[in-house]
Amino acid sequence: MREWKLTAVLLLIVALGVAVFLSIRLANKAAVSGFGMFTESLTGQSDYLIRPKAGDIPNESLSILRRELGGIPLGLFPVFEISGTISGEETVLRVMGLDLVAMQNVANYSQGVAAPQSNARGDDSGPSFLERGDLVFSGMAFSEAREIAVGETFILVLGDRRIEVEMGGILPENPNLPSIPENLLLVDLPALQEMSGRIGVSRIEVRFPNGEFRKGIEEEAAAKLAEVAEANDWLLETPAQRKDSVTQMSAAFRLNLTILSGLALLVGTYLIMQAMEAAVIKRRAEMAVLRSLGVTPAEIRKTWLLEGLATGVIGSALGVMIGIGLAQGMVGAIGRTVNTLYYETTSNAIRPEPGEIAFSMGFGVLASLVAVLVPARDAAMTPPAQMMRQGSPGGGLVLLRKRWLGVVLVLIGWASAMLPPWISVSGSIVPVGGYLASVFVVVGGSILIGALFRPVAKLLKWLGQKGSALRNYTASHLAKPAGRHLLTAAGLAVAIGMSAAMGILVASFESTLTAWIGQILKADLYVSGGGASSVENRSTLTKDTWQRIEAMPGVEGADVLNQYRIMIDGKETVLGASDYNDDPSRTLKMIWLNPPADTSERNLLGPEGDIYPSWISESFSRRFSVGKGDSLELPTPVGVKELRVNGVYADYGNEAGMLVMHRSFTREWFGDDEVTQMALYLREGEDAERVAEAVRGEFPSLQVRTNARLREDSLRIFHQTFAVTYALEGIAVLIAVSGLGLALAGLLIERKSELTTLKSLGATRREIASGAMTEGLGIAVVGMAGGLSMSFVLGWILIDVINPQSFGWTLTYRVPWSMFMVLTIATLIAAGLVAYVVGYRNAEVKSDQED
Amino acid sequence: MKALQVSRLTKSYGSVPVLKGVSLELEGGERVALMGPSGSGKSTLLNCIGGIDRPDGGSIQVGDIQLEQLDEEGRCHLRRDTVSTVFQFFHLLPTLSVRENIEFPLRLQNIDSKERGERVTKLIEEVGIEKRAVAFPHELSGGEMQRVAIARALTIRPRLILADEPTGNLDSRTGESILDLLESLSDHYEIAMLVVTHSREVTRICSRVVEMRDGALLEEVTA
Ligand SMILES: Nc1ncnc2c1ncn2[C@@H]1O[C@H](COP(=O)(O)OP(=O)(O)O)[C@@H](O)[C@H]1O
Ligand SMILES: [Mg+2]
Repeated sequence: MREWKLTAVLLLIVALGVAVFLSIRLANKAAVSGFGMFTESLTGQSDYLIRPKAGDIPNESLSILRRELGGIPLGLFPVFEISGTISGEETVLRVMGLDLVAMQNVANYSQGVAAPQSNARGDDSGPSFLERGDLVFSGMAFSEAREIAVGETFILVLGDRRIEVEMGGILPENPNLPSIPENLLLVDLPALQEMSGRIGVSRIEVRFPNGEFRKGIEEEAAAKLAEVAEANDWLLETPAQRKDSVTQMSAAFRLNLTILSGLALLVGTYLIMQAMEAAVIKRRAEMAVLRSLGVTPAEIRKTWLLEGLATGVIGSALGVMIGIGLAQGMVGAIGRTVNTLYYETTSNAIRPEPGEIAFSMGFGVLASLVAVLVPARDAAMTPPAQMMRQGSPGGGLVLLRKRWLGVVLVLIGWASAMLPPWISVSGSIVPVGGYLASVFVVVGGSILIGALFRPVAKLLKWLGQKGSALRNYTASHLAKPAGRHLLTAAGLAVAIGMSAAMGILVASFESTLTAWIGQILKADLYVSGGGASSVENRSTLTKDTWQRIEAMPGVEGADVLNQYRIMIDGKETVLGASDYNDDPSRTLKMIWLNPPADTSERNLLGPEGDIYPSWISESFSRRFSVGKGDSLELPTPVGVKELRVNGVYADYGNEAGMLVMHRSFTREWFGDDEVTQMALYLREGEDAERVAEAVRGEFPSLQVRTNARLREDSLRIFHQTFAVTYALEGIAVLIAVSGLGLALAGLLIERKSELTTLKSLGATRREIASGAMTEGLGIAVVGMAGGLSMSFVLGWILIDVINPQSFGWTLTYRVPWSMFMVLTIATLIAAGLVAYVVGYRNAEVKSDQED
Repeated sequence: MKALQVSRLTKSYGSVPVLKGVSLELEGGERVALMGPSGSGKSTLLNCIGGIDRPDGGSIQVGDIQLEQLDEEGRCHLRRDTVSTVFQFFHLLPTLSVRENIEFPLRLQNIDSKERGERVTKLIEEVGIEKRAVAFPHELSGGEMQRVAIARALTIRPRLILADEPTGNLDSRTGESILDLLESLSDHYEIAMLVVTHSREVTRICSRVVEMRDGALLEEVTA
């Protein structure tokens, strides 16, 4: 007889595992690809991007480029991109300046702007929109979200400037292209330069002509472009390369997600295994008869493997459908996190890519097959019916009984933690040793925890001394754990171990971050340009603005910082130009990993000949493999400068790394006297909130935050980042407990004749259920103890191996005891409840025990 | 007082009647053999008396306990305190030692460990398995297992023992010694016994033999 319920459960498990796996991958991809895709499609398919290594490209570069290229007919489209916001809003906008005249000739784009401008005015004969400097264009989403219609005006905030602009038109959506991001505004390039007061462009997009003609010039043009870029110290990239380097910054975050999705599949595999085992046990009698009729073990095994395959295929197909739906829901959440942490992206509609679907399906089928290996072997071991009385085989993994193997694996894990990281071609760092170590520790630990059953049984027996027949009986089972006990405890331990290790990572991160924030946030007020959220798009305060703020009543002194995005060794990073106030007791104090001889600002001031002093953050040090005393080459608009690293400091705010110099040098090199951030120190007794109000009153476009508020914001972002982790942790525990339930059901079915004996001896159903509960709790205690022990080691690997290698952050090891307590209690309660219910259901034994 | 009074007991599985009005009485300490072909309803009758199955009609009284008035919990306590069962396939708990198996019903009764120890030690002697007290069931021979099962049935000093083919899985010599054991212990403790059997040998320890056919008892045959 088919156990249709069990089949349904199996299908559901596979489907959910695959769904979670696929949806995380799709949502992740969509959230990240949101960045590059729109830009690409907007300008048509650009073939190359030319970008500065630091600062902006001067306006003249366009004509230099034209001249150098001679007669080669390439389309050159300058793009100027900055961030801004709308007065009264917090959302960061990407404001993109394009040469609209040139763009009108580009197919994708001309449908965009040419059409709406006639809508805007209703007649085509009016003055060209290009003659007006206050027109902006957006997609439908922007206009609808803010209820700004064509022709209406609003205040656009760029850094410290407030500009009244008019909605010039709405760009129509093209069904073949990704939707236009809600946070994108288009402005004519000269107009945007005028508005922002910055002369220059962020990049020049290069487009080759189409068709036959292209072939003739392609090679020559590419070579020429490379030559011009080299000569001017510009960066030449294909859009794909560009996207890679932008998204690389969030690679670590995405890796985190990928690991979590893998975990979902792993846990799913384990559940399928438990459910399949239960199915094998249920059909044991049927198989025993088949065996006595001459069916071979190999044939039985094959049947089960086929069943696993069918379950995998059907379940995965279902999972793909659920996954696509889930991804749609998740993309927003992930996109927001990526936004806060790295760069602006838009939550695109997810695209169910065939490659991803095939990959997830393949994984689902593979997982089902792997999961059914053990049950299939168990099934094949069924003796012929005549032999059944001697008891059925134990089940589970033989591997789990080999303690020496556990010790060996843990040792190998320890050794692999010492391996250096692997550096990929694109420059991202993969801590292979750390991952290997985790796998070995998890597998080895799962084997070793079997040893805990005996002491737990002893304890139970001791507790059971005074009575409870069932507790004594349960202890006798735990003292000689069956394969199923070992497998179940191992599954629980892995889930608990991984969750708790994540907990250790998050707690260590949080306590380190809190301490760090406490130390570095010493000023009373923090001021930055409106709409500034990341260094991806600079948003600055002009000299006049920041000097006026510094001179405001109540303000005693200010530290200022100007951040530039720069490229070193082809990798993006940040140059921070700082200028501290004169009171050394009231200024930024770094946490030093390798301090300079003098930790005050003086250390950054005196150049030795042509070598300039600098400090670097830990991430910078790891990414570029430089340390104290090393020298560095910094690209600037006035040529390459040589720097010496005087010290390395801790920075948990940015994983791209930061290079700190004194602003007096960069001011000259970059030719600007603007700043991106100010830290204000107030006079004794001044009320921070009052001064903040005063600054806001005078400069409504600036973002002014008190010390407390900034701390709050930082921690909020932190918690937001790890929200996904917490959710998945809960799921892992839930699944492990379900696995416990399934396993226990299997054990009790197998012990049916014992249960009948218990009943004939007068044990009540409730007593049998509480016996099962004790057994479940026993397994859970072993799993918990093993899992928590494992988590200490995994936590160490995460914090001392994986994290420094992939993020470049040194964290202080911290165990979240209260979270562990909650985890332990919740798991034990859940395990106890599930076990009791399973026991109660299975204690309903029918009389006839002879057959 | 009578050890067992069964009257006009009926029971069907679905539409198939298995017990068709069975009446039977056992005096205190009396041993009765129940014979009959396979499928005639012997085990079903035993299950009803032990409170594992519920009859459709009729009444059962063990000592002064009226089974119809017991709920599920009450039936469990009946088996715990008053009625023991001995099986053809012994049904020892495989993870408990011989001693622990015998002790188990006393633990269910919440008897303190001192008294438990004394009673178990005495029984182990009485059934003659002193040497195997710390062994586990899978290490025992069939005869030894049945001795353990008998000791376990006796620990609670029941009023009635239900034995379902207790020698059915033993060779005849071992079966003989088990019968001797049952006889002497039931005499000694004055325990009534209803023994299901296919073997004429068993009837030698019984005062009466009743025969079951198709769910009904034939006239009694005196042994
Ligand atoms: N749980 C049950 N469900 C349905 N029929 C049963 C059940 N137990 C026993 N029977 C039927 O009841 C009849 C009597 O069985 P049983 O009492 O075991 O006979 P005996 O012990 O005399 O061999 C048989 O026909 C058997 O098939
Ligand atoms: Mg029978």
